[in-house]
Amino acid sequence: MSSLIKLELARALRNRKFLFFSVIYPSALFLLIAGNADSKTKIDGTGLTLPTYMMVSMASFGALTAVLMGNSERIAKERESGWVRQLRLTTLPGRGYVLAKTASAAVVSLPSIVIVFVVAAAVKDVRLDAWQWLALTGAIWAGSLVFAALGVAIGYLASGDAVRPITMITYFGMSMLGGLWMPTTTFPQWLQDIAKWLPTHAYAALGRAIEQSQAPQAQDIAILVVSFALFAGGAAWLYRKDTLKA
Amino acid sequence: MVGMTTTAAPATTTPVVGFDQVTKTYGSVRAVDGLSLRLYPGETVALLGPNGAGKSTTLDLLLGLKQADGGTVSVFGTSPREAIVAGRVGAMLQSGGLMDEVTVAELVKLACSLHPKPYKADDVLARASLTQIADRKVNKLSGGQAQRVRFALATAGDSDLIVLDEPTTGMDVSARHAFWATMREQADQGRTVLFATHYLEEADAIADRVLVLHRGRLLADGTAAEIKAKAGARRVSFDLEGEIDEAGLRGLPFLTSVDVSGQTVRIQSSDADATVHALYGLGVYPRNLEVAGLGLEQAFVAITEAEEAKQS
Repeated sequence: MSSLIKLELARALRNRKFLFFSVIYPSALFLLIAGNADSKTKIDGTGLTLPTYMMVSMASFGALTAVLMGNSERIAKERESGWVRQLRLTTLPGRGYVLAKTASAAVVSLPSIVIVFVVAAAVKDVRLDAWQWLALTGAIWAGSLVFAALGVAIGYLASGDAVRPITMITYFGMSMLGGLWMPTTTFPQWLQDIAKWLPTHAYAALGRAIEQSQAPQAQDIAILVVSFALFAGGAAWLYRKDTLKA
Repeated sequence: MVGMTTTAAPATTTPVVGFDQVTKTYGSVRAVDGLSLRLYPGETVALLGPNGAGKSTTLDLLLGLKQADGGTVSVFGTSPREAIVAGRVGAMLQSGGLMDEVTVAELVKLACSLHPKPYKADDVLARASLTQIADRKVNKLSGGQAQRVRFALATAGDSDLIVLDEPTTGMDVSARHAFWATMREQADQGRTVLFATHYLEEADAIADRVLVLHRGRLLADGTAAEIKAKAGARRVSFDLEGEIDEAGLRGLPFLTSVDVSGQTVRIQSSDADATVHALYGLGVYPRNLEVAGLGLEQAFVAITEAEEAKQS
């Protein structure tokens, strides 16, 4: 299976458009949003400065892009083309294909997280303790698995034509409503009430808790765990259905 | 199948492939209908049938891509999946999509690394005539080249059974010849080769056993020559003078059909020698006597038409 992971990875690294959107774009967006903000003023109700706040948002956004976009579209297309069938005629275990896709997406998502951190530290003087940097990287990286599972589920749910719009709507909807692009505190109250239940919101909240040296909220952890169970369960169910249909 | 001898090996050998009363239904359509067959080591077998005969479904069942609704499918005495995991089966699917944005060489290397008994990737590339285009991206290939890549994936390791679904689709004539030459090498090394095709001349030239599938059932099983014989394999035509004794002609042995138009008689016979011999025994003097073989294609059409007639 490692050979498939390697090949998937080589392919991802060769795809400039994908690399731009998952690795460069989050950092660029960070500079665009936080570029003119001063590093002193705190955002309401968080105790964090705008650059610190947006750093976690953009790192989460970058990881989300890498794992969601990487999985959904390719799986839907390769299911349709018959590559998935061809792989089933090899010794590769059934889940190997999905695991290889997720592993290679995870390898791409790591630099997208780290680059946002480097840019934030270098350009906007974001300073955190060493354990915080490490915990942030680990939490955001591990949390991205929730969305990798969502990507797999969409890949097995949608046909080759429908997969892009469905992915885009999910991706932008979750990014925006989850507060990855702007603090949800700027939303009207009714929207905030919806937003706080989104896994993307819980995902970024996890990172911000680390920045504030606080324990993560139980509700956020619960939302992420339930989302993961839902997405992974859905993906497994859809995968089995697809295998029987073949 | 009645009255046909097959080239089957002794029953003590574990069959390479065993179908026992296999049924697969899609909605109200029986794609495979109580199919039983056995393939033995070293055979090169053609699976022949019109579109919708159930060829692809049969191969999907054999490869474990689909599950039978009834009956059992075994490959080397185990389940299809176990046989694949053991590296005993290499397969080339008709619409087998390929991973795009990677090179031909990368894809072949992947196939080799996934095979328990792999060949060297360079050798696999050379055998499939892909060395020249090894660095080309898979999504930039012509139909025939992509087909050769699929063949390379099917032969990446030392498999005992090679399954090919319409393997020469999209190839030109010379590529097709080169392909079958390579395939024969595989068969000569003692492998069992099963291929579905709608090119009857391929079945005729390549296979030492032909299975004719129609509406999910096995219509005929034998060598190409036997299949032709079953259909009334030879045509005899001649002219007669004077009044023609049609009833007498119909009494000739081994006839499958008689057609009299004017002074010309056309007969199909399963044993032309005996028919012609008996013809002289009628005391007539046939002129312009011609005896010609029936192509496998005509034999195939005759067999499936006979089956259609029986059903309606």
